[in-house]
Amino acid sequence: MIEIGRVCIKLAGRDAGKKCIIVDILDNNFVMIDGDTRRRKCNIIHLEPLLEVVKISKGASHDAVCKALELEVIKTNPKKSGERPKKQRKVKEVKPDKKVVKKAESLIEKVEKKAEKPAEKKTIPVEKPKKEPVAPVVDKPAEKSVPKKVEEKTTQKKLVD
Amino acid sequence: MSLGKLKSRTYRRVQRKTPGGNTAIHYEKGAPSPSKCTMCGAVLPGVPRGRKAEMQNMPKTQKRPERPFGGVLCTKCTRNKIKLEARA
Repeated sequence: MIEIGRVCIKLAGRDAGKKCIIVDILDNNFVMIDGDTRRRKCNIIHLEPLLEVVKISKGASHDAVCKALELEVIKTNPKKSGERPKKQRKVKEVKPDKKVVKKAESLIEKVEKKAEKPAEKKTIPVEKPKKEPVAPVVDKPAEKSVPKKVEEKTTQKKLVD
Repeated sequence: MSLGKLKSRTYRRVQRKTPGGNTAIHYEKGAPSPSKCTMCGAVLPGVPRGRKAEMQNMPKTQKRPERPFGGVLCTKCTRNKIKLEARA
């Protein structure tokens, strides 16, 4: 009774009561079945052979079996061969901490203020002509009017320059 | 123990710990009898029985085997039934 193309009814499992065809004989006890059931290995004890026999080649495809049993072909997406695409890990974007940024900004402001203040102080004395003339101090005992002239001369020179 | 129905032994007595740390006696009804094959009367394995709340919270696939006549007939009777239908 057990031969390739024999129509059977499955007795056990979730496919019990469904029609199938023996596609291949694997063993003394096991056969390969396909049809309304899933394509799978099955024990002979779990099959009730019917009188019908269908002409089918050994290891026939699911489509051929479905045609023989006049069933709707269940289409499946075959697995694509080849290497699987590797998953790329996402790199976390480091968000700047608001506290740190504020601190940095305040520090920069402080440094700028410090830099501005001494520069102003330095510029002012350079412009003043009082410190430059050292000679008048020496000439002090002779006359007080002399340093004024010197100053005038220096200022005139500067203006000319 | 004021209620008369609680005095009989139809209810199970279960000792439960309260949140305060004391123990209290709770009265519960027991689980129903195991389900049996309707043709031969054999006890069906894989068919749990419990109070309504327990069964309602259980998924359908855990309540009976997933095969035709699952939870109603035993395996022997289902096979015989399918065989007889196929031969008829």
